[in-house]
Amino acid sequence: MEDILRLSKINKSFPGVKALTDVDLTIKKGEVHALVGENGAGKSTLMKIISGAYTKDSGEMWFDGKVVEQTTPKESEEMGISIIYQELNLIERISVAENVYIGRYPFKNGLLQWGEMYKNAQALFDEFDLNIDAKAIVRSLTMAQKQMVEIIKAVSINAKVIIMDEPTSSLSSKETESLFNIIRKLKANGVAVVFITHRLDEIFEICDRMTVLRDGHYVGESEIKDITKNEMITMMIGRELTQQFPERSSEIGEVVFEVKNISDGGDKVKDVSFGVHKGEVLGIYGLVGAGRSEAMRMIFGVDPKVSGQVFLDGKEIKIHSPRDAIKHRMGFITENRRDEGLFLRSSLSANVVMVALNKIMKNGLINYKKEYDATDGYIKKLRIMTPSNQQKAMYLSGGNQQKVVLAKWLFSDSDYIIFDEPTRGIDVGARREIYQLINELVADGKTIIVVSSDMEEILGISDRIIVMHEGTVAGEIKKEDFSQNLVTEYAVGERVDQA
Amino acid sequence: MSEKKSSKGIKDIAYTLLDKLGSWLLIVVIAIIMTFSSDKFLTSANFINVLRQVAVVLIAAIGISFVILGGGFDLSTGMNATFAGCNAALLMKNLGWSVPAAILAAVFIGVVLGTLNGLVVTYLKVPPFIATLGMQYIIQGLIFITTNSMPINGLPESFNVFGRGYVGVIPVPVIIMLIFVAIGQVILKYTKFGRSVIAVGENETAAKLSGLNVNITKVAMYSFCGFCVACAGIVLASRMSSGQPSSGGDMALQGIAAVYIGGTFKGSIINTMAGTLVWGFMNNALNLLNVDAYWQKVVLGIIIIAAVLFDTFRANLAAKQKK
Ligand SMILES: Nc1ncnc2c1ncn2[C@@H]1O[C@H](COP(=O)(O)OP(=O)(O)OP(=O)(O)O)[C@@H](O)[C@H]1O
Ligand SMILES: [Mg+2]
Repeated sequence: MEDILRLSKINKSFPGVKALTDVDLTIKKGEVHALVGENGAGKSTLMKIISGAYTKDSGEMWFDGKVVEQTTPKESEEMGISIIYQELNLIERISVAENVYIGRYPFKNGLLQWGEMYKNAQALFDEFDLNIDAKAIVRSLTMAQKQMVEIIKAVSINAKVIIMDEPTSSLSSKETESLFNIIRKLKANGVAVVFITHRLDEIFEICDRMTVLRDGHYVGESEIKDITKNEMITMMIGRELTQQFPERSSEIGEVVFEVKNISDGGDKVKDVSFGVHKGEVLGIYGLVGAGRSEAMRMIFGVDPKVSGQVFLDGKEIKIHSPRDAIKHRMGFITENRRDEGLFLRSSLSANVVMVALNKIMKNGLINYKKEYDATDGYIKKLRIMTPSNQQKAMYLSGGNQQKVVLAKWLFSDSDYIIFDEPTRGIDVGARREIYQLINELVADGKTIIVVSSDMEEILGISDRIIVMHEGTVAGEIKKEDFSQNLVTEYAVGERVDQA
Repeated sequence: MSEKKSSKGIKDIAYTLLDKLGSWLLIVVIAIIMTFSSDKFLTSANFINVLRQVAVVLIAAIGISFVILGGGFDLSTGMNATFAGCNAALLMKNLGWSVPAAILAAVFIGVVLGTLNGLVVTYLKVPPFIATLGMQYIIQGLIFITTNSMPINGLPESFNVFGRGYVGVIPVPVIIMLIFVAIGQVILKYTKFGRSVIAVGENETAAKLSGLNVNITKVAMYSFCGFCVACAGIVLASRMSSGQPSSGGDMALQGIAAVYIGGTFKGSIINTMAGTLVWGFMNNALNLLNVDAYWQKVVLGIIIIAAVLFDTFRANLAAKQKK
């Protein structure tokens, strides 16, 4: 097959970081090409060079047989390259349709054709069977819905190459399936897709070929059918990975954390009740829109709840704000790291200590040595790739940013921790470290709730799973009954336990 | 997981330096030009003179820095400062209060007014620009009501120390200014409040979710601003030995300009100091060069815009060179 896009000997440095060294990449017409590598390997940087968002230091690029000099993002789009960036780039205050057609609004006689725009956008969503209202304001959507809007936006540009930088990181299996249907359609039309993901199973399902980067270097490429998952991991991390989910031997005690009848008064969260035991990891699964994150946000006091109670050790506690929750030794890692977790312009160390400033005080003043020591500890433990603990959070790769958010809450010493998509964007190797850390936390007698859209993860780390469907708890599954089928049946509403 | 340092050439170092120096560089440039243009410039008397002239604005600008870092804005600071000066004068002259009591009361009123700004912005959710614009007029009205728009002269000699006194060759206002810079820097860098201000200014949602007390932080930064500007107002009144109802009007904007010229967003009060000094040295240079007073305004206006442009340009350049 013909090459549609080729890059050769690409180099790129940032202050203190050599992000790419002599990287090659060849994309063939109509193929789905996986780009894999650890956090900070340089995947996003390479993609941004292709899209014109970054300028390469050296190297060459061919598109459709012609040499391409530096382009602007607008020019590459016109040339036939569209990109879904790792971090969402939608404008929150305007409608979905406006976001999809931004920069290419339909005009007639100098007037914006709103009706046409809404109609076309809605047609796109309907075509791919997505339950999204084109007139909705983006702010009101969940992360996953926003992600789908980004995907539709990129697809609606008639591109020859579509780059997708971790499009599935906040999607559950159903939306991922929709995305794969979209990709198959694109492929049938001869469009090439560059697909980045840390969920390796997806690669075997949808991709034809792959290229591996490590530490900013090209490691190799392969047909997917010629390689096993373990070989892929070895290429990525340069060593073998044993056992994705480390063994846990924690003692499960009494119910220490309990919520009763949490409702938002509308239909996103209806009468959610559950309990978690000391030393237990409770997994919460559900499709997008099932109300998992919404319920957690109400429990933690981020969003107001209309009714419902929270009990710690059998005593009811009143939570009106995250501050109240934190005072009761709760922690909450939200799914949206960029808007809700990070202080992008602040240093890595300032981010890590933000919740637990008390821990770095000495004689009433902030002690920078303590701050740096704590941060360096997490940089090592979570293998955060950064030139220093003073790097601004905005300059870290997506997965490394996620690790900073985790570090922030680990440092807070909370006893009841809610992880909402904890490993979003984190590579396989580091993921194992995080599962290990979760094991250590429960071994310490802490109580953990993990909300995840990743089936493998939820089955792998939970002691018990509750599945939500349309705002209610559809069912509870004990460890001995864990199976993908059962979880799915509850999640899609085919099976409901009457509590 | 090794991070390779990009090779550092002399050029790299030069640009890094350029980026680090920030607006200090502007001061150096002014100093070099002036050294050759006027033999009165490079004298300790002239430098002390400049420091004394910027003292009042810098004391106010410390407070203004916190408000701007915290994502707020305060247009009422000039009037708040003026009010403090007039209040102190009135209390001493008309009610016969002692100097310390009058100063304490005047500063207290400044803190209350700043806090009011904070409450209106935080709890009533009025945009800071509008809330403090309103406050500016309210205070101006109060000043005219209490003073009848007349200067209050003939203040006790012990009060005049704050604006006119010297310790050795160093003017007292300069010492007060340095104390404020030090306090501001310690609060910003070494206290929870300082951390909270920066966090709230950067990402209010994340700050809330991290358990910071967002509302109290926002109110407190306006209170602190009120404190600083009231103190600046006292020093100003002391320097003029008079409560002047129309004295500090320009201070709000000068303070804001200093924050932007200095690039306080890099997270240091020292930047505010640099920004204020750029202003001070520019004024001084124009005076020494006998530039017409009206033209001075025009030039200063251009300088504000140019300084901020220069800052962006310098940052871009440094970033580009390092890549
Ligand atoms: N704008 C930037 N300024 C400074 N350093 C940067 C910048 N963008 C990326 N980097 C650094 O370049 C390296 C590669 O980052 P990149 O985002 O390409 O990684 P990635 O492979 O996409 O990782 P992830 O899987 O975590 O998304 C990282 O070390 C990162 O810290
Ligand atoms: Mg990336």
